[in-house]
Order: sequence, then structure tokens, then C-alpha cells
Amino acid sequence: MKLELGNFYVKDIVFGDRTSYSNGILTINKEEALKVVMEDEHITEADLYIVKPGDRVRLVPVKEAIEPRVRVGGGPVFPGVTGKLMQAGNGRTHALKDCSVLVVGKHWGGFQDGLIDMSGEGAKYTYFSQLKNIVLVADTDEDFEKHEQQKKNRALRWAGMRLAEYIGSCVKNLEPEELETFELEPITKRSDDVKDLPSVVLVLQFQSQMEELGYNDLIYGWDTNRMLPTFMHPNEILDGAVISGSFMPCSSKWSTYDIQNFPMIRRLYKEHGKTINFLGVIATNLNVAMDQKERAAMFVAQMAKSLGADGAIVAEEGYGNPDADFIACIVALEDAGIKTVGLTPECTGRDGRSQPLVTVDPKADAIVSTGDVSHLIELPPMETVIGELESLARDGLAGGWAVDEILGPSVREDGSIIMENNSMFCGDQVVGWSTKTVKEF
Amino acid sequence: MKKAIVYINQFFGQIGGEDKADFEPVIREGLVGPAIEYQNQLGDEVKVTHTIICGDNFMGSHTEEAINTILGFLEDKEFDIFFAGPAFRAGRYGTACGHIGKAVKEKFNVPVITSMNDENPGVEMFRRDLYIFKGGASAASMKKDIKKMVDFGKKILKGEELLSAEEEGYFGRGIRKQVWLDPPVTAADRVMDMLLKKLKGEPFKTELPIPPQDKVLIAPPIKDLSKATIAIVTSGGIVPVDNPDRIQSASATRWGRYDISGLDRLEKGVFKTIHAGFDPAVANEDPNVIVPLDAMRAFEREGKIGKLHEYFYSTVGTGTTQGEAARMAKEMIPYLKEANVDGVILIST
Repeated sequence: MKLELGNFYVKDIVFGDRTSYSNGILTINKEEALKVVMEDEHITEADLYIVKPGDRVRLVPVKEAIEPRVRVGGGPVFPGVTGKLMQAGNGRTHALKDCSVLVVGKHWGGFQDGLIDMSGEGAKYTYFSQLKNIVLVADTDEDFEKHEQQKKNRALRWAGMRLAEYIGSCVKNLEPEELETFELEPITKRSDDVKDLPSVVLVLQFQSQMEELGYNDLIYGWDTNRMLPTFMHPNEILDGAVISGSFMPCSSKWSTYDIQNFPMIRRLYKEHGKTINFLGVIATNLNVAMDQKERAAMFVAQMAKSLGADGAIVAEEGYGNPDADFIACIVALEDAGIKTVGLTPECTGRDGRSQPLVTVDPKADAIVSTGDVSHLIELPPMETVIGELESLARDGLAGGWAVDEILGPSVREDGSIIMENNSMFCGDQVVGWSTKTVKEF
Repeated sequence: MKKAIVYINQFFGQIGGEDKADFEPVIREGLVGPAIEYQNQLGDEVKVTHTIICGDNFMGSHTEEAINTILGFLEDKEFDIFFAGPAFRAGRYGTACGHIGKAVKEKFNVPVITSMNDENPGVEMFRRDLYIFKGGASAASMKKDIKKMVDFGKKILKGEELLSAEEEGYFGRGIRKQVWLDPPVTAADRVMDMLLKKLKGEPFKTELPIPPQDKVLIAPPIKDLSKATIAIVTSGGIVPVDNPDRIQSASATRWGRYDISGLDRLEKGVFKTIHAGFDPAVANEDPNVIVPLDAMRAFEREGKIGKLHEYFYSTVGTGTTQGEAARMAKEMIPYLKEANVDGVILIST
């Protein structure tokens, strides 16, 4: 399988007459773009903004981030989700780099939504403060979940994907500034010098905790709660086969943008043929029932063993209940004789003294920590808020609260905020970007 | 100018050796013994105003009295920082530094810094309570040990950024906090580096050391269930619909107990779950799936259990730290004990 990613580096984004890309300038016809957003009758109102690094802007509740792309040979960017089912990871896809489509609720937030500050002290807590962002702010008629803490955010998330496809389409017929090639030979057909290197699999535990459909990550449109672990080519992940869901405290979530760019996969590609033989990805899930956790771990270890893996990396999307799957998977792999490294955020509590993972096991002796979800953050007011600041306190965002005797509410009258890292938009960057760790004091 | 007070034992306080180990605490104005070295290292910015001297055996055998006397000495003193030791490998001295350091920190809320050798039993006893710097085995390292303590003390007093225990050189206090790596190294790079080392059988260092497991022993069975009072405690977030105790939906620090005497089951619309970590639909439709009042009443009628305790206790488990959960449990226990509860059904979700 051979994927060519053609990259167009966006230096600035402006609104203009024709949606187009030229010399690093991405121009968006706002009216036309909004028409694409409004194709779904459930979207009741929508607007677009452009925000850039350094802007004095706070975004909340942020629901999703997507990289604008186009499949050059035709077909949806997200097969089985925004269009027909087709193989992802083969052929050419063009991408607008250094920018993302951010989807923000006009009013209503939920457990899974997050916050982004584009400048100031808060900017360091998310990856997206360093990108140029096209921000879709919209409301929907999904009244059944308006006051629910758990929101599927279906209309908004799909509007974001449509918008990303619409914007991405402007580079369909252009020559990219950079062409990256991702290619792995079939496992049994690799040359001896590659086969002689230690073989490594990447185990991705996608978020799947909700029993009801509509909240979990999707693989080719299929709900991850309803799957058993399966083998995937890393190109599929990089090329739109998986989209983010709408569940889990936000900082530990993987946005669709994160999944499209997956730095851990790119890093493994870089080592492939040099220090390791990158076998591929085992996609698994984080279902809540104990037997489902055990079954998944069993499948993962068996698959890794059968593929001949010497080493494995396990990354969990989330924390808390999923820690049980994370540790179970590592233990099963170690028991199968596969040397394993874990990749996860941790939750150490306000005093930093809680057990960092819900479940622990001495066999999990190699873990890279991407941060502490419970870290308390206090930030001054921001000049402009896009979305609705009150949602952080009012709507049950995982890191916000309406009442606290000691700390007061998350959102104060002057617009300053106090929150847990939990609600920083995909802030723990478990996909591999995180330069945070956790140390003992 | 900032002020410091130093605590030392009878030996370094020039009172005497083992024969003077019962020496009762005294406070001296100015510098005695190692306090001179502290002052040298602290320079002009911080003045050591007093030296406290106490016999190691006196602190060991009359701990409370010794602590109270010393806290009494300090009551009318102004000081910004408190140093004790260094205690090297001397076990009784280390323990004494720990006892007094902990008490001073709790009462006056000033930074307390001491130093011990890693074989000093005081390290394990007090490392969670104070900054204990990693010190030498004997007084030969006095200067070096004091320098480490003083350098760190100055950083605190100047409000400078404090690095991790390992970087600063003290024994970790069990407090884990997130930091940004400087220079930045991405998690993907760190994973790759760790994996390659692990594959090659080279030493590597996990970023999340697995803590020793805190296993709770299973209680002995209740001898006669038909006479037992049983209570229900849940982390499933079942509360009266108006959530009167305003328990948080995630990362809970609050809990509530709710009267169920006279109720046969929890009615939909009267009780609900506020737990944000699972799909609430089923529990809201029938709260008894989490707090099985209906089933417990049936057991009561059948005489399977003596009776059900009048209240159920509830909080939310998602994102809630083990530390907070343990605290909430400790707050619930007196109520359960007062009602002579024999057994608890602990329901998670």
C-alpha cells in the first residue's frame, strides 16, 4: 500500500471571492463555505471566523478539529463517513498543512468538549494554538441533547468534515509543495535486511466506551464499540479511515486532525528499515465490560505474536476506565514475550498524590506520560471569546464546574477562568506531539 | 531581609555526645555549630537568627513534649524558612529532624528543609512531609549537604521555579505534577527511544513508575446475614433529581447520603444519575439498576438480610482520584459505624 500526501503549507487564511490556494494564502469564499455547512437541515445557524496564533481569542466549547484535505483520485476524505466506502491509504491525498477546521458550539457544550486559547499563558496547553484555524461556530436543532452532558455533536462534527473537504478541494488539481510517501511492503515480502530488524506493532486503543451508537470513534464509519481488534495498515489511519468520536474528557481525546497526522505513526515510519521493522497497526477499543476488555487484550496479544512482533507500543485514547484496557493490553503483550512501551496521560489529582492510573501492574515497566489531566489551570480573561464562555462552567465540561466552595465557579464575572487540564482541547496529545511529562516533586 | 532558624542535635550543638542525648530543647540567639555554615552559605540575603538544640533521645522518647516546647519557642519569632540537620546516616537525628520539621511546617506553613543519607530511616518516615535532600553518610559531607539545602531554600525564598525532586536532589514526596520538557522532546520521540532501548536490552527509564499496590484485604464473611444491617454505597452518581449536595459529574470531591427508609424502590424522576462517565439512559429510566433498593427490600422481606441501612451513600467515580475517594470513604465510615452497619455493598459503574 502506497500513500502519497501532497502538502500545501498555509501561511495565511483570508476570506475572499473564490475558495482557492495560492503561494501559501488560503482564500475562502465564506458564503459558499457556509452553504456547505448548511446542507444539513439540523444546522440552524452558522458563522465562520479565522483565528491565528497570537490572536487574543478563546474558543469554547470546541468539539472537533479536522485537517482540510482532498482525495485526488476522487472519493470522500473519510470513507464510510462523508461518502461511500472505499480503501483509504492508497493513492494520493492533498492536505492543507499548518491549519485546521475547528468546530465550536455557538452555545452548548458537553463533557467531551474543550477550550483553546490562541495566545497568552493558555496557548501552551493545546496543539491548535500554533495552527491557523478556520473556525465554524454553529448551533443545531438537536434539542434531545441540548441539556445533556453527553452530546453526540453529530450535526456539528459532520458539518466540520464537510467544510474540511470543501476547503481541501481547492488544492485538488494543484502541484503540492512537498510530497511525502508512505509505503510498507507486505509483511512477508520484505527484504531480509528489514526482516532482520526488531519487528514492532503499534496498538491504538480507540475510544469506544459508549454503548449507544453515535459517540465513539468510527473506523470506516463503523462504531468502534462494535468491533474486535483488527489489523490495519498505518496508511489507512493517516488517510481518513478513522474519525474522532464525541466522548471522553477532552484533553485525553484524539481529534480527527490528530488521527490524520498521527505523529507516532510518522515516527515509526521514520525508523522503519533503519532500526525497526514496522509491521503495522492493531486497532482496538476501550469497551467498558470486563470480558470485553479481556477479550480485546487477548486478541491484541495473539495478533501481535502471530505477526511476529518483538516490540509493541500501546496508546490509549482517554484515561480512567480505559486504564484497565491499557494495562491489560500491556500485560498480555509482555506475557506473550513482546517488549512493550505504553503511551498515556495520567490523573494524579489536585494534590498530585493519587495513583496515576486506575489499574497498575509491575509488568508495565516502560511508560511515556503525556501529562496530568487533573492539573489545575487559572487563566486571565481573553479579549474575544468565540462560542460561549459560560459553557465551561454550565454544561459539564470534564474540566469545568459551576460550583466549588474553595475555587469558585470555573468562569468568573470578569471572564477569567479556572479549570482542570481535562478540558484543554486534545491537550494531552497522546498521539505523540506532547512535550509534557509528569515528574515527581 | 529574610530570616531562617536552624535545628540541630546535642552533638552538633556542642552540648555533648551520647551521654547528653537526653538534653531538653533550648533555643539560642545567633549561630551554633552548623548554623555558622548555614549563615556562610546563605550570605547577606538571609539571616539565621536562632539555633535550636535538642537531644536525639529526648526527641525520641518525649516526642510530643519536645515538639511542643520547640513550637513554643518559635511562636513569637519571625522566620521565613526552617532548616534541620543535616542528619547524615544518624537514624535518631534524622527522625528528630523529621518530627520537628513536620510540626513546624504544619504550624507555621514555612518551607522546611532537611538532609539525610538514603539509609537513614527518617527518609521513609518523613519524605512525604518535607524536603529531605540526599545527603552524605557522615559529617564529612556537612558543607556539601548544607550547600544543597541552602541553594534550594534560596530558590524558594526568591520565588524561582522549582524543578522535580530528582533534578533538585531531594527525595520525592510522592507528588506528581505535569511539566514541559526543556528542551522539548515529543512523546513520539521518547517512546521510540525507550522502545529501542528495551528491545536491545539496554537500561531505560519509565516516566510513570508503577507505585506499590495498595491492596485491601477481603473482609471476613458476615456470620449471620439474617441479622445483619447492610448499607449501599455507590460511585454511580445516583442522587435525588435536584442533586442537593451538588456532587460533581466528574472528578468528584463531594458525596451525599439519602434517606430511603419507607421507600420500596427508587422511582424514575425522583432519583437519577449525575455520573458523566457512562451512558445514563438506563440508570435514569430505573435508578435501581445502580442502587438496587428493590432487590434489597425483597431480601429484607425474605429475611435474607436483617435490615437495610436507612441511607444510601453516593458519589461519582469518573475522574475521581483515589486520594479523594479514600477521603470520602473515611467521611462516610463514622455514619455507617454509628448505625451499626455490618456490611456494605459497594457498587461501581
